Formats: sequence, structure tokens, C-alpha cells
Amino acid sequence: MLQEIAMTDRTAFGIGAAIYLMAFILGGIMLLFKKRYPRAAMFALLTGGFLMQTLGLNLRGAEIKACPLGNGFEIAQFIAWSLVLLYFIVGPIFRLRLLGFFAAGLTTLLAGGTWLVPAWDKPYPPGIFGGNPWIELHAALAIFSYGVFAIVALVSTMFLIQQHGLKKKQFSGVYAYLPSVQQLDLMAKRLMITGGTVLTAALIFGAVFWINNPDLVPLFKLGVTCFIWGGYLTVVILRIQKKLVTRRHAIAAIVLFLLALASLWPVQSARHSELDTPPSVESLSK
Amino acid sequence: MSDVLQSLFVLGSSHHQAPLEVRERFALTQNEANALQKQLHANGCIRECLIVNTCNRIEIYGLATTADIESDIRNELCAAHGMSRELFDAHSFWHTNLDVLQHALEVSTGLDSQMVGETDILGQMKGAYATARELGCTGTVLNRLFEKSFQAAKAARSQTAITRGQISIGNVAVDLASRIFGKLSSSRVLLLGSGDVAEKTAQALQSRGVADITVSSRTYENAHALASQLGGAAIDFSDYEQQLSRFDIIICSTSAPDTILNAQNLKPALKQQPERPCFLIDLAMPRDISSDVEKLDSVYLYNLDDLSAIANENLEQRRAEIENARSILKRHAWTLWLQLRRREMQPQKV
Repeated sequence: MLQEIAMTDRTAFGIGAAIYLMAFILGGIMLLFKKRYPRAAMFALLTGGFLMQTLGLNLRGAEIKACPLGNGFEIAQFIAWSLVLLYFIVGPIFRLRLLGFFAAGLTTLLAGGTWLVPAWDKPYPPGIFGGNPWIELHAALAIFSYGVFAIVALVSTMFLIQQHGLKKKQFSGVYAYLPSVQQLDLMAKRLMITGGTVLTAALIFGAVFWINNPDLVPLFKLGVTCFIWGGYLTVVILRIQKKLVTRRHAIAAIVLFLLALASLWPVQSARHSELDTPPSVESLSK
Repeated sequence: MSDVLQSLFVLGSSHHQAPLEVRERFALTQNEANALQKQLHANGCIRECLIVNTCNRIEIYGLATTADIESDIRNELCAAHGMSRELFDAHSFWHTNLDVLQHALEVSTGLDSQMVGETDILGQMKGAYATARELGCTGTVLNRLFEKSFQAAKAARSQTAITRGQISIGNVAVDLASRIFGKLSSSRVLLLGSGDVAEKTAQALQSRGVADITVSSRTYENAHALASQLGGAAIDFSDYEQQLSRFDIIICSTSAPDTILNAQNLKPALKQQPERPCFLIDLAMPRDISSDVEKLDSVYLYNLDDLSAIANENLEQRRAEIENARSILKRHAWTLWLQLRRREMQPQKV
């Protein structure tokens, strides 16, 4: 049925990114001109973008017959998709004002930015995960946890803006619309613990695969992944112990997310160079 | 007889002339203000006298019997404060005649307030007038002036929209508290001192869901009375420092000459609840909270100037209303001036 849709996956991703951009511009204009924040319109636009992105991921998944996480473009699309999915859960439950606006900004950057660079959508052979459902689950969970960390970074950014406004005695404009610092801090804590748990689960599934196939996992990728996981685990533990709270926690969340994003490129490069290299006799015999 | 009215004066200092650091040096306690009022009235050169002493202004209204009284009054006020004459001269004003009427009317209406249009000042003016009458310091001129100023204030407020928007310290404090804590139902409030503005701020917080209010004051009876009124508890003033960690919002309005809260005595409390922000509202003059607490990560300190600046953010929108109110008051001031002159020119009944 998906093949009957007269639209390529890239077109769907592009339309999705354009809708996210529209949401961000609309929110920005309303804030700039101190108009009423268009909560319903933002929600509708983000839903439209999300549906287009879901369609794109489905078309791509049907094409490669696996979860589309084979290159930087697909990973960025999946992170943006996870972020918006989490927004739909977190936003209405906790009524975090402006989260939609910030989510629209980051998804535009992730989905739109990578869409504009076709080189990042590097083709790869089908069956990249070797048909192993555990490694596919590992990859999906790991990228979903990045979506959670993306929303933690957004909430932390909102916390820092609101805190700056309160410290500098700024009252109007964006400050008036942001949720309270306590609400944002609490949300960042809960989401950070959730993200840490999801990433740990992803690594446990990955470890099962790695123990059985040590040669198929590039050491560089393993090192970077463990470094990012170690960073998040440290922040989660320190937060639970109340040793890293409020402002410092927010800064740590943003820095770690930027590091996690930055790590995707070398990890992908390592994997592609691994794919380009003929497999060893030992690994083939397994 | 009209010469007597020519000696109507007001000497004062407010937020217009003096910054917070200077204003807190001019602050008088109520007892000191009453003593100064009696002292000035006992001076043979002043027929009538009234002192308005609030956290943002000290003003002496008077009717002198001689024209060159300004320097004497300045000297007496500076002597009462124990401050230099140069400092006071640099941060004060002196109005006479019709300007006194216009000024009194604008102060009563809240046009001269730091938060333009606020309504607390009318109560404070009424309180100052009642005290002066009780002390026997006022006479026909100041009685008429103040009674008429209260009527004019009501007229200007009802005929214009100068009181529209959040223009009370309580409202601004509630909005700030919401930006810090979100819902206020679980916030715990400590009132240090039992001043009027602090009480109103606590009431405003209460109206937005705050249920846990504790009062501490040097006079335990005052703290207990206010706590009963607010449905809260009272604690001994010597104990508040040990209990700081229990509170999220601390409102200070004591008449302590020095600060009672600083980074050093707040740090242990913050360590006990590192995830909870702490909102400090300093309504005291001189200030109760040292500005070094602002360096602490989760502490948000707001003093009178900060709250007023926030309240005045929408001042531009009310500019036209303020001008309308000012013209109404000008008409009232002129009518009052004519009435007072007529009254002064009439032969006194024996």
C-alpha cells in the first residue's frame, strides 16, 4: 500500500521539515509581536510534520526492509521523529508552555538541516543489521533515547532562559510564556532518568550482540557509545544524589546532547568504512 | 491672611530623587517619625505639620508662620536622621503653595508612586493623617488638604483606568512566584516582620493557593496576631534562621537597621533542599537581605525597586490615562486652593 503513494521518502521528509519550519516561524512571529501564543496551531503543524515524517520513515523502512537507521540522515530523521513523539506525550500531560515552539526549532534543524545535505543520505546495502532483531531493537532504542535526550536538552534550554530572565529581572516577552523553573527542572530530571534507562536497555541488547559477534562492532563506535552512555549515567546518578541540580544539570544535559549528536558523524564514518572493507574470513565463518 | 497660605510647604525625598541605597539611609521608624512630627509642631514657626513616612518616601507637609523656614526644617530632619545635610539636599525636593496641593493629590492617587497607580499609598496617607490628627499636629488647612486629596484620589481612579493591570507588590510577587514554582499550593511562605505590604503580599499569595504561611517578628504578639489572621503559624524571631530550609518564599519587612539574611546564613538552608528554588522578597527599608544572595544558583531576590520596575513595564500603555488623571487632579487642586484662600481670608470667629 505504501508503494502506491506517489511520493518518495525524501519528499515526505522534506515536506515534514517544511511544516516544522512553518511551526517555528509562526511561534517566533507571535512571540516577537507579543501576540497570544498559538498553542492549537502549533500542535496542528507539529502533527502535520510528524505524520509526513512517519510516512517518510515508513517508505524508507519498506524500501530497505529494516528500521531506517543506516546513515546520518536517517538517524537525524529518527531522532527528530522521537522528539516530536515525546512532545505529544509530555506537552499535553505536563502542559509545558512553549515546548512546541522549541521542539519545532530543533526538529527543523535536525530534519531540515540533514535533508538539505544529500551527501548525508549515503546509500548502504540492504540488511545492514544482518536480519538480527536484537541489534535492530538496540539501534531503535538507542536512537529513541537520543530523542529523549533531545527533549531534555530543549527543556534545559528553556530552564536556562527562564532562570536568566528571573535573575536579570526580565518579565515580558518570551519569559512570560515559559513554564516555571521548578517545573522545567523537575521535567528535565524525570526525562533524563527515562533517557538514561532507555539508553542502558539499548546497550544491554547491543552487548548481547557484541558478545556473540565482537568482530562486527567497530571498536571506535563501541568506545564513543560507552563514553556517551557513561556521561549520561554519571549525570543521572549525580542528579538522583542531588549533587548535580538545576542550572548545572541543565548545562550538563545540553553539553551531553551536543556531544551525542557530534559523536554520530564519526560513528557513522567508522561504520561505513567498516562496510566498505571486505569482511574477514573469521567473521564470515561465524 | 493669604500670606499664611503662601507658607504652605512640603519637604521630602522619594524614589524620584533618591536611589534605594540612599533611601534606606533616610528611613525612619514610625516612632521616630512621630517624635519628629511633635518636635516640628512644637517649633513656634510651624502652625500645622504632618509626616508621611513610607518605605519609598519621607515627606513633611507643613504650614509655616514665616517664609524662610526651609533651611530650619531641613536641619531638623537631618538632625533626627543623623545624616549629612549635603546628602539630603542632593536627594530631596521642596514645594510651596499650589504645588503642595498638586503633589499631595498626586501622591494620594498613586501617580507619584514607584508603581504608578498602586492603591496602597492611599491607605498610608490616611494612616499618616490619622496619626497627625491624633497628635494634634494638623489644623484647618492640612485637614482640608488631606481630606480633599482622598476624595480627589477616588475621583481620578474612578474616572480613569490608571489602576488597571498588575500594579500592586502583591500581584507582581504572585506572578514571579508562579514563574519560579508553577503551582503555589505546595509553596511554604515565611514572613519576617509584620509590615502592611508584607501582609498584603502574603494575602495575594494566599489567594493563589499558598496554604502554609509562617510569621516571625521581633514582637511575638504581632507575629501571632498576623499569623492568626492569615491562618498560619508564628515562630520566635530567634528561631527563624534554623528553620529557613522549611520555606520556599521568604518575605522580609522588618525594621532592622542592618541585613538579616545573607549568603552565609542562607547556604545551609539551600543545601538541605538543593532542588527547590528560593524566592526572596525584600520589602524592608533599609533592606533586610544582602545582595550577595543573588550569586546563589537557586535564589531569586527581588526588592522594592525590582518589583516596581516590573509593575511599571506596562506604563507606556497607561501613559494617556496618567495624563487624564493628572488633569483631573489639577482641577481639584485649583478648586481646593481657592477654597483654602477663601477660608483663610474670612475673619476668624472668636
